[in-house]
Amino acid sequence: MSLRVILRVLAAWALVTVVMCVVIRRVFALDVDEAHPRAVVASMWSGGSLVTRAVIAHAGDRDAALDAALASHPAGTLVYESVVGEGPVLVQPEAALSASLVAGRDGLAVTLGGRTEYLTPDDLLSRQAYDDGVRVPSIGLVTGVDVPLALAVLADRFGTTASDLVERARLRRARFLRSVPGDPPARTVTPDSMTDDDVRGAAVAAAQFLVRGVDPEGRFRYLVDAPTNRTLPGYDWPRHAGATYFLAQMAALSHDPEIAWAALRAASWLRDNASGACGPHRCIGTGTRVDLGSTALAVIAFVELARTDLDRGYALLVPGLTAFLRAQQRPDGEFMHEYDRNRSAPIDVQLLYYSGEATLALSRAHALLGDPRDLDAATRGLAHLTGPAWSFFGSRYYFGEEHWTCQAMDDLWDRAPDAGALDFCLRWQAYGRRLQYGPGETPFDADGAYGLGPFVSPRLTPVGSRCEAGLATLDAARRAGGDPAELTLLDRQMRRSLALLLRQQFRPGPRHLFADPEAVYGAMPGSEVDWQLRIDFVQHAGSALVRWLALSVGVGNTAVTNSVDKTSKP
Amino acid sequence: MPSRRASLVFGVANLLTAAVVALGVFAGLPSRWAPVDFAALALTALELASAAGLLSRAPWAARVSRVACASALALGLLAVTLLAVTASWLSGIYGPVGRGGAIVLALVAALALPYLVVLPVVQLVWLRAGKTP
Repeated sequence: MSLRVILRVLAAWALVTVVMCVVIRRVFALDVDEAHPRAVVASMWSGGSLVTRAVIAHAGDRDAALDAALASHPAGTLVYESVVGEGPVLVQPEAALSASLVAGRDGLAVTLGGRTEYLTPDDLLSRQAYDDGVRVPSIGLVTGVDVPLALAVLADRFGTTASDLVERARLRRARFLRSVPGDPPARTVTPDSMTDDDVRGAAVAAAQFLVRGVDPEGRFRYLVDAPTNRTLPGYDWPRHAGATYFLAQMAALSHDPEIAWAALRAASWLRDNASGACGPHRCIGTGTRVDLGSTALAVIAFVELARTDLDRGYALLVPGLTAFLRAQQRPDGEFMHEYDRNRSAPIDVQLLYYSGEATLALSRAHALLGDPRDLDAATRGLAHLTGPAWSFFGSRYYFGEEHWTCQAMDDLWDRAPDAGALDFCLRWQAYGRRLQYGPGETPFDADGAYGLGPFVSPRLTPVGSRCEAGLATLDAARRAGGDPAELTLLDRQMRRSLALLLRQQFRPGPRHLFADPEAVYGAMPGSEVDWQLRIDFVQHAGSALVRWLALSVGVGNTAVTNSVDKTSKP
Repeated sequence: MPSRRASLVFGVANLLTAAVVALGVFAGLPSRWAPVDFAALALTALELASAAGLLSRAPWAARVSRVACASALALGLLAVTLLAVTASWLSGIYGPVGRGGAIVLALVAALALPYLVVLPVVQLVWLRAGKTP
């Protein structure tokens, strides 16, 4: 084959590829026209379930079935989902169909035998079918719509089978826009419009969500499915301790007796049911292998309870627990993250988060009790975490999502300032800024989020936890007299993330899709479309809000107390 | 038979291509998918055979290298086409892929092009020249 022939073939290939790309993009892109919907899907929802549905030409049009449902379900909610765009969709392979719907925005318009049924975003959200399709376990990625579930719902409506639908029906992607008649337009919190009152209200609502889930013994509803309000299985001591810490923070700030009582119940559950011996020391954990994180976060919670005078008695438990933490520390400052109770020996493994948690716990314990051994251990832990533990080729260009280290750095700043650690935290935040989504960069409400790409709805928990660390860094950097330009950038970065958290918090969220909207009021979902509510989701967001208040206005108890009245009950 | 120096250069280049393909597919991709795995396996084997032939100046080296280059070029063009078309499809569904997405796609294409398009083309031309009296 001569060079000329090869070049001609390559030129033809390039031309064909470019044309294909342009055509494919044009074919699959939706021509969205919000002002002129093609149809309006009017649904009556009650208790989180669909009562009836009609397709009408315009919002506000009457329909006999809707009128009857309104009469029989006076507490129900009428919701319009306007079809503002429609386009083709790949039905095969299943992964293509799964990835073809933008989470929370797109549904399907399915026509069979002259009849069209709509599978709307509300249908999919109420079944938690978004971000539940294609799984790549090796990188922990779950994306796309649960196609079997979506097809089963549609097949049921048509009275046929899913395979028959795929074979005979015409499936099209549809973009929907939701509106609820009678609902005043919700105020959109932006980085510029966000006020301290917004933040206070959100923090109190977050705490009150947790309070409603603490049983008389002090155990949390660990994982709640928001649409059904079912408690899902699972429990975790570090997260229990973390949630207890947030309740203690909010009890002190709000003076709300219900929050205080819940914090004390949760702490007593930890003390009475998870505390035990690890060799000569006390630790938190119930198995034969105990992790470091449970004890570290329990120390942070107990210190907060004692520091804020909710119950000074918890200070007595701290020395025994910090002795365990110190015993788990290696000479180089790193921690051994597990302990084998059968062998009465530490296990020198490292897991995510625990070293940072232990360092913060030791710092907080020293601030409360003044034991110099705790300060020394915390200082060495921080130096290791921000030094040798993050020193490898490329470490200047890559950071993880461990968010406790920078809180420890801030906590230690007045007693043992570590300029290297502050520099590490500032570089981490600068890295985060590069990854932070801006407005319009994804189809989601994601300004201020950090994500895996525009095709996966951003998770909100990393937003909350990075805010905790980012606000701690901002606090320390201000005290250190950092570069004003960098502080301004970091402040803006935090505002964008906090505004996102406030927009996404269920205050109240789409009430019509919840079996019990009051039960989930104030909760923080996993993402815009993942409504399984785990206690640490709201803890990280809530603790970030508390940090913002402390940083923004040096909030005292009065400021938050006032907001309790405004937001105490949904 | 092409010159000793050219055989050495292309032999080493094919060895490198085999390593890049094997590493990229079997270590880089997060999950296994038979069509990609088999194609990568076949291409790796062909590139290794071609490298071995060229480095040892075997009489069959040119023939095997032509097959290897043609296969690499075909798979390279197919891979870049599929990447570009998929990116266009995703862009149609989700809107702009953003700066991060664009950079990732460009990097993937940039990594595939030298080994699976440019090198095979140059080698095919060289093999053709070597055949001409």
